Amino acid sequence: MYQTLLTRKYLTSKIMPLLASVAIVLCTAMVLITWSVMGGFLKSLVASGRTMIGDVAITFPNVGFPHYQDLVRRLQADPMVEAACPMIESYGLIHLPDGRNELVVVKGVEGDSYNRVTEFHKTLYWRPLTEPVPKDEFGDDWRLRQHSLWAGRLADGMALREMDTQRAQEVPAAVFGIEVAGFNIREVWGGYTPGVVRVPQSDGTLKDQTVLMFESTITLNLLAMDPTGRSVETSTRQVPVANEFQSGLYDIDKQTILVDLGLVQQMLNMDEAERIVAGSAPDTHGVVVDPATGRESFEPARETTVDPARVTSVLVRGKGKQEDPRPLAERCREIYRDFAAAHTGVPPPENIRIATWEDQNRTLISAVKKETGLVLFIFSFISLTAVILVLAIFWSMVSEKTKDIGVLRSIGASRSGVAMVWICYGLAIGLIGSIAGGALAYAIVWNINPIHDWMGQQLGLVIWDPRVYYFVTIPSEVETDKAVIVVLGGVVSSVLGALIPAARAAMLSPVKALRFE
Amino acid sequence: MPLLIVENLQKTYRLGRVDVPVLRGASLAVEEGEFVAVLGASGSGKSTLLHLIGGLDTPDRDPERPSGITFDGRDLKAMVTRDLDRYRARDVGFVFQFYHLLPELTVIQNVLIASMVRRGPGARSAPARAAEILDAFGLASRLGHRPAQLSGGERQRVAIARALINEPRLLLADEPTGNLDRKTGNAILDALARIRERTRQTVIMVTHDPSVAARADRVVNLEDGRVVSEHSRPLRDS
Repeated sequence: MYQTLLTRKYLTSKIMPLLASVAIVLCTAMVLITWSVMGGFLKSLVASGRTMIGDVAITFPNVGFPHYQDLVRRLQADPMVEAACPMIESYGLIHLPDGRNELVVVKGVEGDSYNRVTEFHKTLYWRPLTEPVPKDEFGDDWRLRQHSLWAGRLADGMALREMDTQRAQEVPAAVFGIEVAGFNIREVWGGYTPGVVRVPQSDGTLKDQTVLMFESTITLNLLAMDPTGRSVETSTRQVPVANEFQSGLYDIDKQTILVDLGLVQQMLNMDEAERIVAGSAPDTHGVVVDPATGRESFEPARETTVDPARVTSVLVRGKGKQEDPRPLAERCREIYRDFAAAHTGVPPPENIRIATWEDQNRTLISAVKKETGLVLFIFSFISLTAVILVLAIFWSMVSEKTKDIGVLRSIGASRSGVAMVWICYGLAIGLIGSIAGGALAYAIVWNINPIHDWMGQQLGLVIWDPRVYYFVTIPSEVETDKAVIVVLGGVVSSVLGALIPAARAAMLSPVKALRFE
Repeated sequence: MPLLIVENLQKTYRLGRVDVPVLRGASLAVEEGEFVAVLGASGSGKSTLLHLIGGLDTPDRDPERPSGITFDGRDLKAMVTRDLDRYRARDVGFVFQFYHLLPELTVIQNVLIASMVRRGPGARSAPARAAEILDAFGLASRLGHRPAQLSGGERQRVAIARALINEPRLLLADEPTGNLDRKTGNAILDALARIRERTRQTVIMVTHDPSVAARADRVVNLEDGRVVSEHSRPLRDS
């Protein structure tokens, strides 16, 4: 085919098409790098969000529902379910060592079962490290030393219990989100070190002190409610902090604390308790006055019952990867229906909220998806410059090659044949540019962290600051399907840019072309 | 029956708001194997006549003055664009005054591109045929050279080789020696003569030079877009 021969010759003898190729290379690389990094960011966000909530949550907020142990048992017996765990979610007020009070989300969980559903042990920050994190060049991370201390912290964090040395017994403990107290300092290498704050002393003075949250005890206040949802009393306890967690989602790390489920149930009056059956006790609230002697005595209720313990949620983890958790949610709904039919006093299935991890993170995930889409749209729009550049270069080349077009027509080349010369040319430039751009994007994305570090060291330019973003390193994975779409887009853009000049070449009169000077 | 019949050909170009008639009823008949020179001054319409015969351009259509070009019994005016493309690729070979070689291609590629455009059954043997023609023109050692590395005479020989690669029935030469010195021009005419001796190739050559026209079998004089006279050259002694 003469089109192939001419395309090859024009490609190897002209500078201008190489410039067009470079434009395609840069545009392709720009779009693919952006898409890969933003896509990786979204993927990390989704993974982080899932870490704390499992795949599906069955929730009846505030007052909760009883007999949850049976629901957990039924769920765990199902082949679609890997594990299930109870949880209470409430709001609480904590009093911190520096005198501040903070409103937090309190999640009451059992360490073991919660870990089976969410693998939250992976998020526990204070743990022994044998290798420094990627950007910690000087080994500043506290976790690299005193491994036995961190091993103890890790075990306590996972169990949500801590040894009270004075009483020589284990007591319920809390695990804080790493940003809740605000004492930890985010370092440039992405990790945390405990900060120094002014702590009020017993004599009323202030003293600079390094606050180790994992060795502190905080005051936790919760508002207990009765089963009808009415506020009963404020419950206050001293709770030691066993560890801190870093989920990767700022909102969670800033607002959430995990506390032993049993303690939270006690504080919220949601634990198992004996209750007097209405009408079975004397009207005098148990105090009886002997009419003969006038002495008061206590008369127990004639009839009591046991209120079962309650939780506000049961979290479920499905078997396998659960890319689409909706079938699991549907199965959970069926199981809950059977559970509700078997017990009295549990909320009807219609009132229960069964939400997937996607439903619970919808706002955040949608925002990042929209941002990714917006950035891609803007960059794709900018990439139109490559189309215009190819068009301009080809337009100019058609002018330059007008006489050649006349010669081709004189030896019998058809209009479409002449047009195909330019379309093939555009296709070749698009292929070369897009493939090279794709390769460049691969090279940059795979090495984006070393490149970023180098830019920081040499130019002082830090775009991805680990103190701002919750992922220490920039996502560095190119997905093949995205690469194929972007490369094809580059090729199509180049061909589109060549279409108008090709049509112009085809419409040239052969006689005028031959006489063109 | 003549291979080519041109009857009452009209062609007017429009320059701005002015119509400029170039051909005003030119008529001509060319037998198969004949070498016809169209002699005329600059602006007489000889190149336009050649372009119309070669199907590069179309004549005016005036119902009051019927005209036409018939090649081997086929009316060019009735041909659609695709047929004209095929006609140029198979039946006609063009040689231009300024050679019109493609500068990026080598000598052999410039010749072969015509066979690539034609895509006929002889495409497979085209490289051997091109090499043979170029060898006959004394260009065997120049196959890999670019046009810029050749002299004017060599370039014109490459152009003739390109015109002949598809073995057309009609060779159209537009001032083939017009851009060459006399000696080189004569060498080109000698080369054309050798081809004719061997293949009885039909040739129509336009020129403004009577001495060049004298190499043809027949000379047709064109003035103001009309054939005003013609005369044949006496047959040479064998």
